[in-house]
Amino acid sequence: MEKLYQLLDGCKWLANVPDSLLSAVAIVVPILLIITVFPGIFAYTTLIERKALGRVQNRYGPNRVGRWGILQPIADGVKLLTKEDIVPRKADKFVHLLAPILAVIPSLLLFAVLPVGPGLVPVDLHIGILFVFAISTASVLALFMGGWASRNKFSLLGAMRAVAQVVSYEVPMVLAAVAVVMAAGTLSTVGIVAKQSGGFLSVTNWFVFQPWGFVGFVLFTIGAMAESARTPFDIPEAESEIIAGYHTEYSGFKFALFQLGEYLAAIAMAGITVTMFLGGYNGPGVGLKYIGPLIGVGWFFAKLMTIILVIIWIRGTWPRIRVDQLMAFAWKVLLPMSILNIVAVGLWHYMESKLWAWLVTAAWLLIWAIVLTKIGTAQNVERRTYRYAT
Amino acid sequence: MSITLGQYLILSGILFAVGLCGALTRRNAIIVLMGIEIMFNAGILNLVVFWHYQHFATLTPQMFAIFAIAVAAAESAIGLALVIAIYRHYKSVDVDEMRALKG
Amino acid sequence: MNAAFWILSAMSLIGALLAISLRNLVHCVLSLILFFLGIAGHYFLLRADFLGAVQILIYIGAVAVLILFAIMLTRNVTGTEGPRELFGLGWWTGLGTALIVAAVVWVTVDSAPQAATRSPGQAVSSVEQIGKSLLNQWVVPLEVLGVLLTAALIGAVVIALEEVVRRR
Repeated sequence: MEKLYQLLDGCKWLANVPDSLLSAVAIVVPILLIITVFPGIFAYTTLIERKALGRVQNRYGPNRVGRWGILQPIADGVKLLTKEDIVPRKADKFVHLLAPILAVIPSLLLFAVLPVGPGLVPVDLHIGILFVFAISTASVLALFMGGWASRNKFSLLGAMRAVAQVVSYEVPMVLAAVAVVMAAGTLSTVGIVAKQSGGFLSVTNWFVFQPWGFVGFVLFTIGAMAESARTPFDIPEAESEIIAGYHTEYSGFKFALFQLGEYLAAIAMAGITVTMFLGGYNGPGVGLKYIGPLIGVGWFFAKLMTIILVIIWIRGTWPRIRVDQLMAFAWKVLLPMSILNIVAVGLWHYMESKLWAWLVTAAWLLIWAIVLTKIGTAQNVERRTYRYAT
Repeated sequence: MSITLGQYLILSGILFAVGLCGALTRRNAIIVLMGIEIMFNAGILNLVVFWHYQHFATLTPQMFAIFAIAVAAAESAIGLALVIAIYRHYKSVDVDEMRALKG
Repeated sequence: MNAAFWILSAMSLIGALLAISLRNLVHCVLSLILFFLGIAGHYFLLRADFLGAVQILIYIGAVAVLILFAIMLTRNVTGTEGPRELFGLGWWTGLGTALIVAAVVWVTVDSAPQAATRSPGQAVSSVEQIGKSLLNQWVVPLEVLGVLLTAALIGAVVIALEEVVRRR
């Protein structure tokens, strides 16, 4: 945004426009870009997801509307907009209306600190990562309010489970991000991406290629998938489990807003993963003089779509985790692993020789990963007793 | 004309009084706890206001504010756990009904 | 800057007033969230960025959710508070005390000569400064806070734990 302002400032000699108009334009243009680009990505992500899931399940996805189903998102949007908006009679009308709005606002706000290219970030907050986590914790409220306002026992149960899941998986996610912040020395997303630039072909400095970065990447991706309630963590909205969880009683545009909020949160978290672990916009060719920024934007979106495709792929192949296994996994395996990851970053930072740093951190993380997996997944299931069978 | 220190202090004083009124007046234990949270926030706002309007550079009021926020969160967690435990016993959260220690 | 101060003050004041006077508990919590957002805005206005983000993270992300859970677990049958005696003795006492406190604060502030003319200082905080001072000068309170939070965590779980009835 500041770059745009400077660019416009340089064109001031064209016409005598006042400063306030320039700053208004410099603020409005990134907002318009975010509002058009990322919901567009959301719309086509729904299509890609349906086609990819269809192919995984040995069938075609939607291919009737448009050549390969290209116009399917538009058809879905028109359908949801023209559906009747049913509100249960005893529901709390104000909260029922507010919940989908509160689901979308934090997801849109998250895009304000994503650096899509060199110098191309809407707002360069010096507390960028803290802002991301503050906003994503605020999206927990929408889940709860959606479940509460519907006056439906299943909705409430789904909402409680969703809130418990989201709140439990936030902790290892934030601690994995703390490891990155420690290594980069700054909370600003632009600073974190800048720390990962340089290196051979602008690739080797990415944090994911270092032992603690790899573990942090896995932890953060698992946490991000649980935050957006994607399979294998989709207990809150699994159709075979709880009808539709906290958005059972929503129809029409409010349902569309819930879907928008959830998918946008998943895309934004994928973007934050790319920023923190995969080097953001860094990639071969990003240092070139004039087309460098364009190449950087291309790399960012390529990495973003790769992560989204991996998330969709995991949705199509892995089964759902049971709700008690889910909590045990978060508190007994992921949380200790993320704390030990922080210790590993400290060891990495303070060891002088690279070889020793690699060996020690990799050994530390590997040993603890094996120990925690053994402890955390030990099932003590009793022998089944039958009450009436002889 | 920028905002003076006095205006901020009056704001936090009014917010504190609102929280106090809520904590004293309402019968529902959860709303009493919400009033206490409002009082906490008004006090911490006061701290940060004084940090902003001083002319020497030290971070002590902000540190104090961070610790106060953490302590307030811990206190509200314990308070709400107590309310839940009391509800199980009395089957209501009305503070007027909890008079077992009275007299 | 002035407009931001008045808007945020109105937001926090209206949020606090509605939070203590509405009938439906969930609406009270929603206006409490509005109050927290107003206070966070004030922190950002006072150049305390880290504190504003921490306010949103802790109060709206955790304390408000905690209060909502408590409301859900202690629901009355009707879901709202019973008939409140408006203009009863308790109500007048509470309101009177609050008005006395507000009046005392107002008079004290107005009679202090510096308060009317004090202009903002140059205090700017960076997260790095906060981190360094947390680990150098304020390390003992930090560790004590860790112990306190652990004790609160364990204590809250123990207090709210349901007694397991063993049916054998």
